Amino acid sequence: MLEYLYFPHDISTFGPQVDWLFEVIFWIVMIVWIAVMIAMVVFMIRYRTRPGRKAEYIEGNTRLEIIWTTVTAVILVVLAFMSRATWADIKEHGPPGQVFYAVNAKQFNWEITYPGPDGKLGTKDDLTVENEMHVPIGKVVRIDLTSKDVIHSFFVPNLRLKQDAVPGRVIKVWFEATETGQYEIPCAELCGFGHSGMKGNLTVQSQADFDKWLADQYAQNKQ
Amino acid sequence: MARAVTASSAKVRPFVARVRRIDPSDSTYGGDRRERPFMSSAMLAILMVIASEMMLFSGLIGSFLIFRLQSAFWPPPALPRLPIAVTWANTFVLLSSAVTISMAVRAVHQSRQRLLRRYLLATLALGVTFLAVQGSEWVRLVAHGLKLSSGSYGGTFYILIGCHGAHVTAGVIWLACVVVAAMRGRYNARNAAGIELCAVYWYFVCAIWPLLFVLVYLM
Amino acid sequence: MSSTAAVAAHGVHAEHHQLSFLRTYVFSEDHKMIARQFLFMGLFMMSIGGLMAMLMRWELAFPETAVPGFHWVPEPFMYDGAIPPNTYNAMFTMHATIMIFFVVMPILVGCFGNFLIPLMIGARDMAFPKLNMLSFWVGAVAGVIMISSFFVPGGAAAAGWTSYAPLSAVPIYTGVEWGQDLWCISIIILGASSLMGSINYITTIINMRTKGMYFFRLPLVIWSLFITAILLLLALPVLTTALALLLFDRMGGTHFFLPAGGGEPLLWQHLFWFFGHPEVYIMILPGMGIASDVIATFSRKPIFGYRAMAYAMISIAGLSWIVWGHHMFQSGMDPALGSSFMITTMVIGVPSAIKTFNWLGTLYKGNIHYTTAMFNALAFVAMFVIGGLSGIWMACTPVDMYIHDTYFIVAHIHYVLFGGSLFGVFAGLTYWYPKMFGRMMNETLGKIHFWITFVAFNCTFFPMHILGMAGHMRRIYNPQQYDFLKPIIGINEFISISAFVLGAAQFLFLANLIWSYFKGAKATENPWNANTLEWTTPSPPPHGNWPGTVPIVYRGPYEYSSPEVAEDFLPQSQLIEHSTAAAD
Ligand code: HEA
Ligand code: HEA
Ligand code: CUA
Ligand SMILES: [Cu+2]
Repeated sequence: MLEYLYFPHDISTFGPQVDWLFEVIFWIVMIVWIAVMIAMVVFMIRYRTRPGRKAEYIEGNTRLEIIWTTVTAVILVVLAFMSRATWADIKEHGPPGQVFYAVNAKQFNWEITYPGPDGKLGTKDDLTVENEMHVPIGKVVRIDLTSKDVIHSFFVPNLRLKQDAVPGRVIKVWFEATETGQYEIPCAELCGFGHSGMKGNLTVQSQADFDKWLADQYAQNKQ
Repeated sequence: MARAVTASSAKVRPFVARVRRIDPSDSTYGGDRRERPFMSSAMLAILMVIASEMMLFSGLIGSFLIFRLQSAFWPPPALPRLPIAVTWANTFVLLSSAVTISMAVRAVHQSRQRLLRRYLLATLALGVTFLAVQGSEWVRLVAHGLKLSSGSYGGTFYILIGCHGAHVTAGVIWLACVVVAAMRGRYNARNAAGIELCAVYWYFVCAIWPLLFVLVYLM
Repeated sequence: MSSTAAVAAHGVHAEHHQLSFLRTYVFSEDHKMIARQFLFMGLFMMSIGGLMAMLMRWELAFPETAVPGFHWVPEPFMYDGAIPPNTYNAMFTMHATIMIFFVVMPILVGCFGNFLIPLMIGARDMAFPKLNMLSFWVGAVAGVIMISSFFVPGGAAAAGWTSYAPLSAVPIYTGVEWGQDLWCISIIILGASSLMGSINYITTIINMRTKGMYFFRLPLVIWSLFITAILLLLALPVLTTALALLLFDRMGGTHFFLPAGGGEPLLWQHLFWFFGHPEVYIMILPGMGIASDVIATFSRKPIFGYRAMAYAMISIAGLSWIVWGHHMFQSGMDPALGSSFMITTMVIGVPSAIKTFNWLGTLYKGNIHYTTAMFNALAFVAMFVIGGLSGIWMACTPVDMYIHDTYFIVAHIHYVLFGGSLFGVFAGLTYWYPKMFGRMMNETLGKIHFWITFVAFNCTFFPMHILGMAGHMRRIYNPQQYDFLKPIIGINEFISISAFVLGAAQFLFLANLIWSYFKGAKATENPWNANTLEWTTPSPPPHGNWPGTVPIVYRGPYEYSSPEVAEDFLPQSQLIEHSTAAAD
């Protein structure tokens, strides 16, 4: 059970950066929180009312105000700039793609479109399957993400990846899986009564298995 | 330690609690304050109404701009053009009404009743004309097939201009009431608030229009 | 003083009999009565919103099993007590809507705003008593409409309290017909109500302060309500715009949010969150103000850095307009824009930091009295800090990519809204109850309620952080449908049981409210030895607030343990020879 109390097992290339940022913030926040709590509890006990005692008349302290304002500001702004790079890698640019899919969300399924043998999307030999996404390990997968009806959200916990699928616009998403296995693709944005339970399967395979599976699929949808 | 005495026992000024409803002009109201507020509560209130109206319009204008800047063709080929010339004239009508009402304010400060009534009536007439012209133009546009439902072009047009129209209508109704009161000689130099409040609101209604005109008709 | 008070009190009594029952209790223009009306409305709605929460918790712990005692609910809303998905969606939608718009806002802004502003600035009533009454009744109408939407065919709105388009814009997407329309209409009407309210507050605070009550002598709770009113005034119209456009999409055949007709789904999110983020500070600022006053009073010490506190609230209000994008990091909004929103969002943590540290500074070297109000105020600080700190993770865009729309967010929501706003409400009610109802609240019962609530609250909402880290999505009615969530069902059960305790504990509070009203010890004029003006008049204050003249203010609100006098408090209105200069 314990291992479930933390992030699910990470299988993506940018996952470690995300987890690392989470931990950095975790420690900053822990220090701040513990400091605040200690101060609070100590004051609460130390300065509890006692007969015949009068509180000390202190109106404030400008030096302190300036100190804690600037310190917090610095910590937070630095944090923001640290996060920028990672964010840019994941959502703005990122490596050139090696495998290309189109994912089309609809109430309440993921339509995954593989480019046909010609390797191009949008040609008639394309192959569309519902909820079954197979990817080769160690390849940069680029997805054109969109939706047919309402907003859904493409979420793979193990990849640390989440991106809303918005009708009317195509959003580019990329990831690179580092471990073979079966993972879930839940929908993370409320999309109607079927939102709960809207999920696909992500299968990360060796290149060989992947090619074989893809070949079978094409063969099947030939006849 | 300094001897402490309470304020009220310092100078005894019993308050007669047998007032049915406290009215703001009551001298003891809001504490025996000597300094007068820098602005009457009513004026403050109307200014705040205007502030929130501005947020309302900026929401609409923001949405309009998003659609306007996204679309390649504006207006879309199929749909009728908006009546520029007539609306130029109408803009002039509305803006001149702002002038007349400012005259009315000037007049009331000099307690010149006949002048006041004349300018108020003029403003009212101009306001009504504006609405009438807008209305007739809308009828024509609908006839030419520009509907609320015809794309973001039709939608934003009717919502934005309609919202302004609703504000003008409200202003006209208010003006009408003010005119009636003015006919009864309600207002004079010492009692001009009624006119001033209405004028401020009317200024707002007039001031927002040119912006909408430029964005929706000319841009 | 007291003699004149007694005399006048008689006069007041006489004149109360003159006013008809209707004018005194129903269509009252007395700010104190209107405040009570808002309070009761809020508490009543709280029981409904809470009930929704309880049902949700049952569903999440024991998915698709019948809720005990709910077999009577007709299909399709429930199937012999079992909750279908759409009903679940309607439940968290209405839970959030009710809690935010009909519990926290009416109580924090409506009740405390109305009750405290005139009494604490030294005015005999609001600037516009009639408008004030109207504000309540319009709000009540909105409430009735919202509740009635449960009973229309298709059930209540089910697109989340954020009602993202296109889901909310096309009935077939949710299967909800009237519910969503009524939801929009109700909130538009509520907007009108709070517009009237905020105009009244701002005007009153600017124009009707008693002699000597300069802005920087206002109690912080008044500062907070003043700023809140400004936020309300400017934020709600934007929501009204969005709702109007949504209604037109639903009924008028327009396509503002529907890509099919050239609409833009993200437009809704921008409009909604441009309102939505100021809204969340609308819900916390009054709590901060209440906590400041209570903590200063019971530490018997001036608030630490009074001006810093006021400026911090002002800058929170200012910054709250430029951070809305942090709700849209994963929405497909330009990621570069996301980065800039991340920076502004981080920056908005700073003023909150100032406030936190100043509260601690107030405790320092104080002489702390542990009343129920004080406990709740301290809990406010502790819980708000937790909720605020969890906001830092979400502000960090890459981390938010993982925790967005998971229970991590739900945990944040409740730490700031229940741990913050509601503990603020508890603190405020126990502190001002004597002034509102003329009797003290029962301390023992109050402390029992506090401790159960405090413990149960943390047991309920802290584990949600862990659920969130495990990837548990929000707004799903059955976690069991996901393999990666099966192992943590235990946590969900634990949360639910704590939640039931938490809900039950609120009955203690209700009981205390009612019991104290009839049996509580009679309240003196100034039971807490506090400084602010509301404590210089009988409890409850007569019509017109002060039997004698309105007190004049000679100093700031937090002169506790001042060396100038022997007692450890020095009311704002108390005249001391050598400090008369302060008066003018
Ligand atoms: C009272 C309500 C309230 C308040 C006060 C806040 C305060 C904050 N909120 Fe929260 N928020 C909500 C109510 C509130 N929020 C709600 C309801 C949602 C969900 C909406 C929905 O989707 O349904 C939400 C969602 C939400 C999101 C979107 C998450 C997502 O959907 O992915 C984000 C992201 O940045 C965020 C951030 C913040 C931040 C940074 C603060 C800051 O203001 C917090 C500042 C406070 C502190 C930081 C603690 C005190 C400071 C110190 C002790 C100093 C030291 C600190 C450091 C050095 C780090 N909030
Ligand atoms: C002020 C705001 C507020 C408050 C107080 C609460 C209180 C509670 N909330 Fe809520 N909640 C939200 C605001 C709030 N919530 C918001 C904004 C969301 C997001 C919705 C969305 O996703 O769209 C949410 C969502 C939300 C979820 C996630 C649903 C989902 O995503 O699937 C859950 C799940 O556990 C939950 C649980 C609870 C619980 C157990 C309480 C408990 O604290 C409730 C305890 C019970 C009471 C406080 C009342 C009980 C009292 C009585 C029954 C009688 C007493 C009567 C009187 C006093 C008159 N809430
Ligand atoms: Cu698709 Cu939620
Ligand atoms: Cu926010």
